[in-house]
Amino acid sequence: MEALATPEKIVAGLAAVLIGVLALIALKNDWKTTGLDNNLTKVLLGLMAFGCVLVIVAAFGILPRGGS
Amino acid sequence: MSVSVAKQGHVRGAAGNSLVHDEVIYQETRDMRLLGFALFLVSDVVLFSAFIFAYLYLRNTVDTWPPVVDGKQLPRLDVAFAAVNSCVLFGSGVTMHTALENWKHGKKAAFNIWIWATIVLGTLFLCGQGYEYAHAQIGGWSGSIFGASFFTLTGMHGFHVLVGVIYLIVLFLQTRKGVYDETHYFGLTAGTLYWHFVDVIWVALFFLFYLF
Repeated sequence: MEALATPEKIVAGLAAVLIGVLALIALKNDWKTTGLDNNLTKVLLGLMAFGCVLVIVAAFGILPRGGS
Repeated sequence: MSVSVAKQGHVRGAAGNSLVHDEVIYQETRDMRLLGFALFLVSDVVLFSAFIFAYLYLRNTVDTWPPVVDGKQLPRLDVAFAAVNSCVLFGSGVTMHTALENWKHGKKAAFNIWIWATIVLGTLFLCGQGYEYAHAQIGGWSGSIFGASFFTLTGMHGFHVLVGVIYLIVLFLQTRKGVYDETHYFGLTAGTLYWHFVDVIWVALFFLFYLF
């Protein structure tokens, strides 16, 4: 059983919240822009924000890890 | 003239109509470059997808995961350290985005700070990967299918990050030489897209190796 709240996990969780919020703000600011580069950037920023959610899930043990 | 426009992207002629002509050519070549770069990213997605499906296939060939080697089940990877390292990489995505936005608004001093922050964070991520390679107890590259998959995929990603760091340094040097201005900065756009792409590939790898 892994420890749920090691210092690394707390740091990672808080950092992920901050970075995720910043990514979403950047996404919101770019939302009305057009063009291939801007649309690609929006998709990638959204996926990065999703990555931050995964880090939060991992850091706070919200979902059990896979494997058998 | 068109050759130099294609080469440098923003050469301007002396006459007014030549200026308009050059701008049209620049926009056309920019769109073609952008499409080419997007297709390059798509080809990289295909490359990573092939390795990811190979990993998933191998994972389904064994009864237990992590696999058993010499009668002993291999341990899971350290999710806490990987989570911190992921934040370093995702943070570099935000700093690169900020760098590009500053460039667009003519804030070159701020751009310099943010692009160097990105370079430092990218290098830190690579150092973290090196640390993890040294401490992962999953049997080395040839010790198990877990190790083979992990080191191949994360190694390939790490190589992309290394290329990205070098690319960003080259972009910084180009900005110092005046290759880009506030309206003609395709290289910086491509660099930002590449860096975001590297971030997103890590999202998939982080999920597959540390959470799934």
